[in-house]
Amino acid sequence: MSPAPSNPTRIPVYNYSVPTEADAVAALHRVWDAERGDRLWSEACRRAGLRPGHVKDVAQLERATKALSAEGGATATVARSIEIRLRTHARLAAKTAGPAVPPTKPGARA
Amino acid sequence: MTPTDPLHDAARLQEIADLGLLSSDVDPILQDVAARAAARFGLPVSLVSVVLDEALHIAGSHGIDGLWLAETGGHPVEWSFCATSVRTREAFIVENAPEHPEHRTNPLVTADGVRCYAGVPLISSRGFVLGNLCVVGLEERTFAEEEMIALRALAAEAVQRIEERRAT
Repeated sequence: MSPAPSNPTRIPVYNYSVPTEADAVAALHRVWDAERGDRLWSEACRRAGLRPGHVKDVAQLERATKALSAEGGATATVARSIEIRLRTHARLAAKTAGPAVPPTKPGARA
Repeated sequence: MTPTDPLHDAARLQEIADLGLLSSDVDPILQDVAARAAARFGLPVSLVSVVLDEALHIAGSHGIDGLWLAETGGHPVEWSFCATSVRTREAFIVENAPEHPEHRTNPLVTADGVRCYAGVPLISSRGFVLGNLCVVGLEERTFAEEEMIALRALAAEAVQRIEERRAT
């Protein structure tokens, strides 16, 4: 059996991967329950113009999270958690990537 | 039935929302409390933290300008020293993080150099632990009882300020 492929979004130094739609839904399930969590997520996706279960990238997850935040109350705290986790991944990915090294042309002078 | 982790308690999270603690507006009084905590301990960083279900949100801070934490406004809850107090309702002290059983592999320790931590819970008038007032350092350190008494007094000031948000 071959080893599972590594998550390309994982930041090794921090052992941290980018949050996904599944993570957001699981968070709602933990605070509420599966039925209410699914309903809240579906409504947030609808308000964001997205299809639940098909939130495929960070930009879409950010949109859905912003819509979820509009629910207010405890649900807004879940949305804030997702937002912080997304921001953390983006910031640490940039930090650990280091400065871009410009390509050097053959024969170029230093 | 498994008891609910206090981190995921909807009533606690509702209290955090009711107290306006998700606002990104800087509260100068909470900033001042954090600054005085850092000065009292002679440590570089202090936070008024709000522990959410999956992340720590910073409501007041001192010493994080220029750090990634200032840009993100918090970090994943699994890295949070403050989450311990939400679960225990007690102060939490780490004097030598690289040797601490729970935090020696914490990226804030392994990647960012945190070495010591002391935090006391911020408990609302309705009995919910909102987060902590904490101090953080980059060198191993012990914490004396009189220092923890001072930190508790500053935490009480922070809670008083936070409770004023409920009335406004």
